[in-house]
Amino acid sequence: MNGPWFIELLARNGDVLQRQCVDKLPIRIGRGYDNDVILDDDYAAAAHAVVELDAAGRLLLRDLGSRNGIVVSGRRLQEAELAGDTVVRIGHTPLRVRAADFPVTEELLDRTFHGWEGVLPGSVGLVLAGAVALLARWLGDTEYFEWARYAEALAGGLAAALLWSGVWAFANRLFGRHARLGRHLFVFGSGAVAVAGYALLGSTLGYAFSAEGFTHYASLVATLLLAAMIYFHLCTIRPQNRVRYGWICAGLAVLCSSLILAGNVQRTGRLSDELYMPVLMPPAVRLSPDHGVDEFMRDVEAMKGPLDRSRGRKPGDDEIDN
Amino acid sequence: MGAMRSPPAARVFLVIVLVFGAAASIAVAAGKSGAPGQRAKPAPQPPLVIPPATPPATTPPAPGPGETDETAALPTPSSAAQTLYSAAKADLLQIRMLLRNGRSQSSVGSGFLVGTSNLVLTNYHVVSQMALDPDVYVGEYVDTDGKSGPVELLAVDVLHDLAVVRVNRDGTGFFQVPDKPVKLVQGQYLYSLGNPLDLGFAISEGAYNGIVTRSFYEQLIFTGPINSGMSGGPSVTAAGVVAGVNVSKRRDGELVSFLVPVKYAQELLRKAQEQAHPPKDFNPLIGQQLLAHQRALIDRLLAEPLSIRTMGPYQVPVRESQQLRCWGRSNFRAEAEYTLDAVSCAMEAAVYVSDTQQTGHVSMTHQVLRSSALHPLQFAVLASSRFRVDSIGAGRDTRLTRPACTEMFVHTATLPVRAVTCVRAYRKFAGLYNFTLLAASTDDPHASLQSRLDLAGVSYDNGLRATRAFLSALGASHARPGTP
Repeated sequence: MNGPWFIELLARNGDVLQRQCVDKLPIRIGRGYDNDVILDDDYAAAAHAVVELDAAGRLLLRDLGSRNGIVVSGRRLQEAELAGDTVVRIGHTPLRVRAADFPVTEELLDRTFHGWEGVLPGSVGLVLAGAVALLARWLGDTEYFEWARYAEALAGGLAAALLWSGVWAFANRLFGRHARLGRHLFVFGSGAVAVAGYALLGSTLGYAFSAEGFTHYASLVATLLLAAMIYFHLCTIRPQNRVRYGWICAGLAVLCSSLILAGNVQRTGRLSDELYMPVLMPPAVRLSPDHGVDEFMRDVEAMKGPLDRSRGRKPGDDEIDN
Repeated sequence: MGAMRSPPAARVFLVIVLVFGAAASIAVAAGKSGAPGQRAKPAPQPPLVIPPATPPATTPPAPGPGETDETAALPTPSSAAQTLYSAAKADLLQIRMLLRNGRSQSSVGSGFLVGTSNLVLTNYHVVSQMALDPDVYVGEYVDTDGKSGPVELLAVDVLHDLAVVRVNRDGTGFFQVPDKPVKLVQGQYLYSLGNPLDLGFAISEGAYNGIVTRSFYEQLIFTGPINSGMSGGPSVTAAGVVAGVNVSKRRDGELVSFLVPVKYAQELLRKAQEQAHPPKDFNPLIGQQLLAHQRALIDRLLAEPLSIRTMGPYQVPVRESQQLRCWGRSNFRAEAEYTLDAVSCAMEAAVYVSDTQQTGHVSMTHQVLRSSALHPLQFAVLASSRFRVDSIGAGRDTRLTRPACTEMFVHTATLPVRAVTCVRAYRKFAGLYNFTLLAASTDDPHASLQSRLDLAGVSYDNGLRATRAFLSALGASHARPGTP
């Protein structure tokens, strides 16, 4: 183990806040100005600790009789052996010591599209969010045409995009190195398009093929899409934690979905979001054949049994079992 | 986002249209309709399973100073009223419903001793709490001298709103319930007795004005003041013969009140005298009466094929009769790119079961949306938002089960529709259900017929029968160009 040595002051999350190179041992650490490494920490003693080699040639940090001592993994020690990854807390300052020959991991493969940063994805995201807002307004507009209403919708959509992405960009600057606002805007725009797209596609499929499930459980799909959006935001902040974020978002989606389902059961006694599919589309969309009145009435008749069984149960415990 | 599911603009607009529509239709109903019963005033739109409840027996809290309506002063009591009151007051009672636990009163009404017996006639709605929940409520009478005693429920007639109770004292024989129906002449003086608003016993003078044909069960029109608290009191002729039992008044009218004809009281008294002992639980009995009611109701509704009306490109079934009245409305004043025409037919009377539950009611609504200016997708969103109903009746109404629904794309003889039927069962009354049918046409990208049928308190078979009749009758008009 050879010098020079590097003293790294760390943040709580492990980021290096400050790194100092010291050429020779011993290294004196403390608040006083006669130290090799000066800690601006009111809880560190003037001469707090010293790094030196012991008889066996191991790197040691030794307490110089300070009031608060040195703490490794929550335990106060008189002297601590310093492997490259050992984090020692002196006062309120976590730090570690590494020699110049400390082996580092291989570099990560860079999969980031560096051309897809900044203004380009940002403006695409804004365009997508604005388009979704305008489409929603247009679809729901039954009044005589007025520019102001569309301008309002557009402003609302863009404001929502900027607000949401702004918060993520802030977090990105805080925990990553760059704000990457453009990327976050793009994620938001794509998410908005996905949710709107599902709303349209689900309704269309449900209506075309009498597949009511597409709208009965639309809130679950929306939850899934929202979780995916959060996943991409998180990955933008820290691409190296992809797998962990995947699990976190999956867990979040499962939790929210179960909450929604439980709420539905409590509200209406059934899992689905609605009593029936209220979607009406243009007739051209319809593909499946219609049924006869007799068939419908047979199904209505079949509800009598479950209803009568439900009658006997306590209110609140009376899900219709069909 | 959520473009199809919840376009915010459409939501807001829908709410506005609904509010205006409801306000307009209530105004129309209040202005024009001449229906009986303060407790039965269904506004034509929006469709309701059950008309808004106003408990006739319960006395509202005493009005504060300045709230008293001084314009509707009682007519000067005639000497006939003085004579009648002094002769009748010994047999006049106030009937109170008390909570068993704590004995605080929860509603008050009136009643009268029949002949020299210990039987008291009153309204069902005065004693409904005691009939439905005997474990929670107990009855008590108070006479004009302030003496009180317990009340035992003997018989109820939910449909005519009558009840017979037994008290621990005998009548003096003033109130005679005649064996034969009383002959009345329009304009004849009647005197109504009772305890209005729990203020004290009172007599009011008014005139008999014929029989109401709007309610399902015959009632007499009494042009005189009947206030809540007088329910169950007698209305007598100048000779002292009981002509009817006070039951209700119109809140939107002046001195328009209603009496139950005495002939139904005779039947109920006979029944009460014949039975060996009173039923322990009145709920099955009330259930049977409601079943009998719905049988008559649906038979009358379907006695002949529903009449077909043309609404734009569609043909819709309606039934207009004395009991089922139809009202139309349109959105021509709203600044919108579409037109909405609606007709709704509803019974103006329902059967009172309790102050929060009324049943035995039918209503049907048809709306036709049309627009040539809207894009088919925009029109689809508009039609979907109007077709969406979040809950059938009150969602957490524990007297009914949760709704069970069937949804399907159905083709009637001439029209493809999306049909949804939701049914809820009554917990207390076996064999009674609320049916709701929602249907929307699926034949035209620029027009949508949306129909709704509500049947409250019907048997399953009758619900199926009426639903099928209504659904099958939806159709496209023949004079329609461009449709196969």
